[in-house]
Amino acid sequence: MSKSLIKIKPKKYKDGEVVKVNFMVMHPMDTGMGKDKKTKEIIPAKYINSVKFEYNGKVITTMNVWESLSVNPVFTTSMKINGAGKLSVTFTDSTGEVNEASIKIKPKG
Amino acid sequence: MQRRDFFKKVGAVVAVSAVIPAMSFAADAKKTVSKNAMSYATALNAITGGKTPTASDKVKLKVPEIAENGAVVPVTVNVDSPMTDADYVKAIHILTSKNFNARTIDIHLTPANGEAMFSTRIKLGGTQDVVAVIELSNGEFLIASQSVKVTIGGCG
Repeated sequence: MSKSLIKIKPKKYKDGEVVKVNFMVMHPMDTGMGKDKKTKEIIPAKYINSVKFEYNGKVITTMNVWESLSVNPVFTTSMKINGAGKLSVTFTDSTGEVNEASIKIKPKG
Repeated sequence: MQRRDFFKKVGAVVAVSAVIPAMSFAADAKKTVSKNAMSYATALNAITGGKTPTASDKVKLKVPEIAENGAVVPVTVNVDSPMTDADYVKAIHILTSKNFNARTIDIHLTPANGEAMFSTRIKLGGTQDVVAVIELSNGEFLIASQSVKVTIGGCG
């Protein structure tokens, strides 16, 4: 399991407003080229290769990712608020591990 | 055999035996290349399908000119676009010119994003260019690039 967190900026938003969505993951993003300093063995590749943002069941953003993203990557994108509901993010890594995170969308005013 | 010749020969043998392991070590290091290795030219061709992207001031690529640590280089791309159903940014591709895999991330956007912006942090193996290729909904490609000087490489 990779820990992940979704943040919406600004915290208070209205319907129809364009907000920034900040998605952070705790992930090693190993390229498959680095070596363990103690054992001198090559660390196998393990990196996120796809990210999908869904808002109330509708796919709004998809990403194809390769290994040159930093350790514990941050993905910041924008989103137009269109009613209350749920924003969920699914991400898959190169070893086939699938994780999901979600946040409730509650526009005010 | 004279003493002078003897020392010359011994010296040559020592020098060669010191060089050989160093060479084989270098060859080993080169073997650990990812199966994803892709050059910048191939990557750009795969994205645009042979079309030439045009440089445009609509694309704003924000990367530091000097990155002290190549493992964490912040990259922000902003595209001036109305993001309506008729005219929107279809995809943002971030490429690097000298990393072993030129492709870093592709972001596929929809009009529901409201604004064409993306920000992340990438790894750079050395001093090179960071390139953003933008695909518009009408099939056009825009490009922006900036060179980044890396003091300590961050790959592997």
